[in-house]
Amino acid sequence: MSREQARVRMYNVGFGDCFLLSWPGPDRTVKVLIDCGSHGHGAGPHKIEKIVERIVEDVRESDGTPRIDVVVGTHRHQDHVSGFDSPLWDEVEVTEVWMPWTEHPTDPEARRIRETQSRAARRLHAEASVASPVSVGRVVSAEESAKEEKLRDSLLALSANSLTNAQAMETLHHGFKGRPKRRFLPTGTLRRKSFETACLPGALVHVLGPSRDPDVIRDMNPPAGQSYLRMTEERESHGDGPWLPFRSSWKVTREEMERDHGHLMPSRDTDLRTIHNYGELDNDIRLDLAVQLEKGVNGTSLVLVFEVGRTCLLFPGDAQWGTWRVALEDPEWRNLLARTSFCKVGHHGSHNATPKDLLEKVLGEGFAAMVSTRPIANWPDIPRIPLLDRLAEKTGSRVVRSDSPPSEMPAGFRPRDETDLFFDLEIPL
Amino acid sequence: MAKTVQTPAARRPLKIYAFDPMLGRMPLNRITIDIQNEPLRRGPAGSRIAVVDYDGANDCFYEPVDLDDKAILMQGGLDPSESDPRFHQQMVYAVGMKVIENFERALGRKITFRGRKLRIFPHAFEGRNAFFDPSLQALLFGYFRADRDSPGPNLPGQPVFSCLSHDIIAHEMTHALVHRLRKYFFDRTNHDVGAFHEGFSDIVAIFQHFSFPDILRDRIQRTRGDLRKSDAFVELAAEFGYATGKGQALRSAIQAPDPRRYQTVFEAHDRGSILVAAVFEAFFTTYQRRIADLVRIATGGTGQLPAGDMHPDLVNRIAAEATRTAQSVLTMCIRAFEYLPPVDITFGDFLRALVTADYELAPLDEHGQRQAMIEAFRVRGIYPDHVSSLSEESVLYEAAGLEPLGKELVGHLALAEYVYGGAPAADDEGSEAAAPALESEEEKLPQIVASELRRYARKNAAALGLDAARVNQIHVQGFHPSFRVNSHGSLVMELVAQFTQRAEAGSTDLGGMEPRAGTTLIAGVDGTVRYAVTKPLPGKGVSEIFREVSRTRFDRHKAFVADSDLADAHLPWADAAYLQKRIGKLNLSSLHLGLQS
Repeated sequence: MSREQARVRMYNVGFGDCFLLSWPGPDRTVKVLIDCGSHGHGAGPHKIEKIVERIVEDVRESDGTPRIDVVVGTHRHQDHVSGFDSPLWDEVEVTEVWMPWTEHPTDPEARRIRETQSRAARRLHAEASVASPVSVGRVVSAEESAKEEKLRDSLLALSANSLTNAQAMETLHHGFKGRPKRRFLPTGTLRRKSFETACLPGALVHVLGPSRDPDVIRDMNPPAGQSYLRMTEERESHGDGPWLPFRSSWKVTREEMERDHGHLMPSRDTDLRTIHNYGELDNDIRLDLAVQLEKGVNGTSLVLVFEVGRTCLLFPGDAQWGTWRVALEDPEWRNLLARTSFCKVGHHGSHNATPKDLLEKVLGEGFAAMVSTRPIANWPDIPRIPLLDRLAEKTGSRVVRSDSPPSEMPAGFRPRDETDLFFDLEIPL
Repeated sequence: MAKTVQTPAARRPLKIYAFDPMLGRMPLNRITIDIQNEPLRRGPAGSRIAVVDYDGANDCFYEPVDLDDKAILMQGGLDPSESDPRFHQQMVYAVGMKVIENFERALGRKITFRGRKLRIFPHAFEGRNAFFDPSLQALLFGYFRADRDSPGPNLPGQPVFSCLSHDIIAHEMTHALVHRLRKYFFDRTNHDVGAFHEGFSDIVAIFQHFSFPDILRDRIQRTRGDLRKSDAFVELAAEFGYATGKGQALRSAIQAPDPRRYQTVFEAHDRGSILVAAVFEAFFTTYQRRIADLVRIATGGTGQLPAGDMHPDLVNRIAAEATRTAQSVLTMCIRAFEYLPPVDITFGDFLRALVTADYELAPLDEHGQRQAMIEAFRVRGIYPDHVSSLSEESVLYEAAGLEPLGKELVGHLALAEYVYGGAPAADDEGSEAAAPALESEEEKLPQIVASELRRYARKNAAALGLDAARVNQIHVQGFHPSFRVNSHGSLVMELVAQFTQRAEAGSTDLGGMEPRAGTTLIAGVDGTVRYAVTKPLPGKGVSEIFREVSRTRFDRHKAFVADSDLADAHLPWADAAYLQKRIGKLNLSSLHLGLQS
């Protein structure tokens, strides 16, 4: 790598993120690792353990010690942190570890958000794992049954992604060699969050999110999720099963109603059954909650721009519209983003992680982009093809998908490695 | 000897909880409200409402109350009780009927649910939710156990009932009535649709609650609370349990109006709060004008009340003014429905309807209620579309330059009213209407009126803002006569009709939510068309004057779909089926749970 260039290495993890950013420092190469994880349901061609081994080798310096200056965990989804669940990290010397403010161990708001998200994921996952009992008297067609299965699969996959990977988080919070300093960003009350740090010479780091804007926080911790938790935990604490809200002497059976108060009985048989089913939390509602939770954890993503020399490298994690809306309101951020030379495409190419306003009105043209993704059967809209097409137009075809890289890599990208373990982009500083 | 026939009493008194007992128990937490007397069967089941106490979680029923039982009648209804399910049945019936009554009084006609009854299930399921379900034509209320660790003012684990809150019952009942009057207001075609449903339901709940005379009088007497400050009302609303703790949102929306919120806040409850706050501010401004002379008299012009308790006469008079103003605002808001388009409601439409409706009733605006409304909406950034200024004349709907309705049509409508005493409006999009075997000419009246209206609409399609190239797709959505007393004190009858028309089939992706054009037409008894409230859509046969408006409307719909997509948590995980139907109708169960924005 020449003196004048930065390198972005996208590891091929499948449905997940793992990027190594490096550039020449005064006496050695500066290295930043951004995320390391893969989704259980979207494995890549290489096991994550193999990727971790390769990273350790890639960061090994001339004295034999693997070193990384900054490790960034953008947010705690499995597909961004599962790789940190490995003993190999114990031998890697790290100077600083950066995480979003929602990871702060003692900040009360952060704890509230983390705990709710964690409890919701656990509960949804546990409930999805139990095969749903067919309601009494419900005859289910084959089509309905298949639909229900698919629903359950999606629910399991989504909630699993939000489960806390204790070992991985342990590594990020307390692991690595060299007793790294932890930063929970953005810090402080300054509106503009940009800073320099000794361990990253030559770089100005801008933190565009996550903010503490109440709407953004509501996205992270939606009221529906809190209600759901309260309700299910309440049921559990009281012991499951229906309970009578009145003394049983008030009860009247269906037969008695038909006999004595027939005028009140519904003319449609199914009405009472519909009402009976309302109380049961069905998988449709659980899926609603699970996607909200997924969006909520994505909302905690750290959004970073590394300004090295004249080059601006954008790593937004999986930030979605809430975070972008706040960031795009600030004219200074808009100016910064207009100078983007490289964009790591958010959330594996999904629709609302790269909102239209950002792509059409803020990012310029001719930047390079990388998408770490792979298609998953149940979810045809991720990555979103129209978005990728538009990216291809705006970048002049300088966009590379990890799951289907072109045989001829575009300008600035290194030729493909025969292992396809990673893809490299070189950018002049 | 001649038998004397005892005429039945006009009113039936029934007791309800004044404040939600689940939010705090106080002595004498009850008021007696009175509603129209009607024959009741056990349930209670009347002509419009039937309370069915079915518990879905336990698959059982609870004993239905007989409100005509002599012992109960004598006391003016059962005493409020958390543990007696019959009182719960009584309360949901009483509050539900009160809302219907307020609608009838404001709209000047009898409201029915087109032959079917609205059912109320006071203990339908276990859960912290309550909602109107259009497919069941029912209000469903949930119950749950008070939290072990933070039960609030309840015993840990005790049953808590959503059906014991006046505001929750009135809120859900209003959803049902809005749906009855405007079924297409469930179609999510812009950001205001869900917010209007929520905000309007809150408005009815709060102002109906304020309109009970005892409540405000008691409040002033007990606390020497200064009802000259809006805080006191807001606190009262919060104590009512106004929509489970939205008090803070209401307080800030009232006291710090910010036009930017209307531009940036889209979640239905938050956006609805803007509407509530606007109406609330108008109420408060009007109320202050109304008590200005009382305060002058009481303070000898200084405006400073003497120390110590207020004179009870003063308390009564001030409370009475507040109650009267609340009733007046409530009536104004409901009356506005006559002037709403059949589709695609926006806050701006509602403002125009409010102002027009009130102008018809009281052209002089004696207490400045109308002006206060326009101003309160203005400071919150709510402006009607396509008006040239915010002066009253501009906000009022214009007289339409339309051909008068035929003599025959008006005659048939008057006859229908005479025969049916509250003409069951027919519509020809296939919604259920009780259809007995039609024999006599009289029974066919609704069909006759409908077909004459259809003929009128097809002939005047372009002037009505509809697409004249597709007249066969124009539907008569509904019609009814309405009655009001004009400013000279005479009874005036008007004919109101709604037309809708599907959009031209197009390729624009609207997430499965089909847009419709629609027009509400208000005509006088001489056939003159007084107002036409139009919502046009682009189309080949659309008149030139509606081109720009229809384009703007369609663009707004597209922008709404794009905004929804940005916030849609489901979108990354969508399959083809979801994408085609991702913008669904308003689902109140999900909305109240926070799962649908």
